[in-house]
Amino acid sequence: MEQEKFDQKVARRSALIYLPISLGAALLFLLAASVPGAYPLVAKVGGVVWVGLLSLIVSMPLVTARVKKQLRAKTSIT
Amino acid sequence: MGKKDEAQLSLPIVGMSCASCVSHVEKALQELPGVSNTVVNLATNKASVVYDPQQVRLVDFQRAVDNAGYAVASSELTLDVRGMTCASCVAHVEGALKELPGVLDVAVNLGLGTGHVRYVPGVVNANQMKRAVREVGYEANERNDAADSLDRERQAREEEIKRQGRNLLIAGTIGIIVMIGTFYDMLGPFKSIVPVWLSYKWVIGLLTTPLIFGPGRQFFVNSWRGLKHGVTDMNLLYATGIGAAYGIAVINTLFPNAGFGGEGATFFESAALLTAFIVLGRWLEALTRGRTSEAIRKLMKLQPKIAHVIRDGNETEIPADEVEVGDLILVRPGESIPVDGSVKDGYSAVDESMLTGESLPVEKRIGDAVIGGTFNKTGAFRFEATKVGKDTALAQIVKLVEDAQASKAPIQKLADWVAGHFILGVHLLAILVFVFWFFIGYAAFFDPNSSFILSPYALGEIGVFGFSLLLSVTVLVISCPCAVGLATPSAMMAGTGKAAEYGVLFKGAEAIENASKLNSIVFDKTGTLTKGEPSVTDVFVNTQARIGGSDELLRLAASAEKYSEHPLGEAIVRGAETQALTLNEATAFNSNPGHGIEARVENHNVLVGNRKLMAEHGVDFYSLIPHAERLEGEGKTVMFVAVDGQPGGLIAVADTLKEFSAEAIQRLHKLGLETVMITGDNRRTAEAIARQVGIDHVLAEVLPQDKAEEVKKLQARGKRVAMVGDGVNDAPALAQADVGIAIGSGTDVAKETGDVILIKDDVRDVIVTLEIARATMRKVKQNLFWAFVYNTLGIPLGAGLFYPFFSLVVSPELAGAFMAISSVSVTLNTLLLKRFRPSLRHNERQLTPNRDSGKSPLSPAVVSSK
Repeated sequence: MEQEKFDQKVARRSALIYLPISLGAALLFLLAASVPGAYPLVAKVGGVVWVGLLSLIVSMPLVTARVKKQLRAKTSIT
Repeated sequence: MGKKDEAQLSLPIVGMSCASCVSHVEKALQELPGVSNTVVNLATNKASVVYDPQQVRLVDFQRAVDNAGYAVASSELTLDVRGMTCASCVAHVEGALKELPGVLDVAVNLGLGTGHVRYVPGVVNANQMKRAVREVGYEANERNDAADSLDRERQAREEEIKRQGRNLLIAGTIGIIVMIGTFYDMLGPFKSIVPVWLSYKWVIGLLTTPLIFGPGRQFFVNSWRGLKHGVTDMNLLYATGIGAAYGIAVINTLFPNAGFGGEGATFFESAALLTAFIVLGRWLEALTRGRTSEAIRKLMKLQPKIAHVIRDGNETEIPADEVEVGDLILVRPGESIPVDGSVKDGYSAVDESMLTGESLPVEKRIGDAVIGGTFNKTGAFRFEATKVGKDTALAQIVKLVEDAQASKAPIQKLADWVAGHFILGVHLLAILVFVFWFFIGYAAFFDPNSSFILSPYALGEIGVFGFSLLLSVTVLVISCPCAVGLATPSAMMAGTGKAAEYGVLFKGAEAIENASKLNSIVFDKTGTLTKGEPSVTDVFVNTQARIGGSDELLRLAASAEKYSEHPLGEAIVRGAETQALTLNEATAFNSNPGHGIEARVENHNVLVGNRKLMAEHGVDFYSLIPHAERLEGEGKTVMFVAVDGQPGGLIAVADTLKEFSAEAIQRLHKLGLETVMITGDNRRTAEAIARQVGIDHVLAEVLPQDKAEEVKKLQARGKRVAMVGDGVNDAPALAQADVGIAIGSGTDVAKETGDVILIKDDVRDVIVTLEIARATMRKVKQNLFWAFVYNTLGIPLGAGLFYPFFSLVVSPELAGAFMAISSVSVTLNTLLLKRFRPSLRHNERQLTPNRDSGKSPLSPAVVSSK
């Protein structure tokens, strides 16, 4: 039960970090692709989704592992 | 430090016996930075520590307690871990276990599907470990004894083969149909037998969907489980690749005008064939990986199922595992020996090749030891069981080989680390590839006539997003480091198993790696290169004395020494017995310690001893001195014999070389190794032995406790040193060496120190050890080379590096096929190690025991009677 609570806490805290990171990367892509007339809307949307998804995949495990480590260190282990 | 940052831990302590121990342990722990309070309880043998986890860790506690002369109690546990497919899985499972408080060390073996954990009992338990493994997406169970786990491992492997076989059948069938449908226009004369509706995009989509959500489901489920807990593995690469191809194909089919490339850019066949190829790879891996651990299975199969026990005078057939120590067991010709024991009556020849690698049958007489699992060939005998169950030699050997296979070589740790971090790197690369082709590459290099490698399918109307996505997905799929993860453990498993077949037991993968790098071999002299007991080498008769000849001189001296307990005297008696000389009783025996003996034999006064003894009795022995000095120059111990006050002659005694010592040293030189002999003997004796055997360097007059220091000196000169010696007496030197080789331990392997144990007392097995280690590491390096070559070439190819020059791209399905081929080829390359034979006694040894083969008759020279 305690472990579940701990995991939930890790998941919440991690999401607060990796979601903005992925959204930021996707936004950056959108900005770069938004040169007027350069790319069709669908390509931009597709690119935003793909870059966002890959950024999420990269940041999620990194952030989760780090947050878990930090929280674990703060929590009593017996 | 605020209270909220503190943690508390209760450590079990070993070795405390009094209150001062308590204060020592308390002090040791209290001195660590970050420890605010320590209470040690002698009654419970526990230390309760309040500490700041940011400043101090469990390993620091362990080290502090160790340094204080005590120990933190630790236990070991092996988990069977299922669902691991690659090196990153290994890293995840290890990471999950290491994160648990109380876990000291973890070694996960992908090939065996095991996790070996050293932990502090009371701080963490097996259930927590299993839960931690399950949380990162794998199944874990506690391992029981070897036989059970072997059965379970086999069962799990068979289930996996069956499961992936089923998946392959579905994925392969649908994949082929989808491919036929996709390339309908190119079928030529075969077009008439394929219904046209099979080429409709929505039909292809309908066919692909169950494939993605059936056989392909495992990749999505596993990667999501991992992601939730902050870990990534190969499944994520597959899931992203398959998911992207399928998602775009669905959009382009349902909404062809959405701008993703329309119907010309549906990737259903990519998604379908990619899944089929990955499943094919999984199935082939499951098939081949199990074969690398066959050695253990072979050993386990040696365990006989039944025993004929004599109880109350009656023979009863009982299961072998019900035999108890002290039971009397009957073994007939053609039967296997059920447990370890000692022969009580009867005589036979036993084939021990399956355990010791010795190709010739070994004679067994009353009092000789027999090993469970070996095969009785010629006669019937009865023996008393001395070791049963887990204590038998076979069980110990199986455990040792299992432990070795579960351990990790340094090279493997590096490969696992690389593979573990590779996945995220690949996803980052996939972003970069996508961004490059989206913003720069497409506009600069895209050619509408370009096509996929090995495919007539032109890219045609694909848009900037579709093209960039295609290359990005291909990078994900082609980069899978499965081959890197399999390269080392599969070879180590095959190598340790192969070594065990020849009676060479490596205690860990590190020993194999170290043994392959050696350049200097240090041999203990006594008992390793020499027989360890002196024997008569020369008998010189004074021609002026009235003695019949050398036999007569030896007979008189041996009769005088008949009851001597001095090793030199015993050597003379043995020498006479070997010559079948008849000894008479001596009267008036008198021993003069440090000088020799005086006795009356057949009415003659016989003196046997050194110069001092002769001088004391006024014997004029000076004519013998030149001969004595010559023999002493050869490292022999010379005894003067006088008969009735006259110098009768000399008897030289020396520790003689073992039969194959010189051959072994010669072979080692051929392998390019420097040889060193270390001994407590005086330099002259040591050098004489070294000359006979062909040793390069001699370290003489070294006390047993200084042998380790000598090994250290060699290491300080940059040598990578193996020490070959007695596993008990030479233990410190064996421990100091880069590789400690304990020789001639027999089958009581559990007692041995050293990194390598040679079951037989044959120094030539050192060469077998080196050859197997070198062959194994060669295989590891080949595997790693090919695995990295595959990725090094595959990634730029997949990323479209060569596209501007050739207008060709790798399709995701082709990338999937490459990936499958890479991991299967690594495993197949490892399986070639099964054909390895040591160069030495190549024709004498067998790869597998062949019980029916008519082996050569017993030869007195090689029959051992233990």
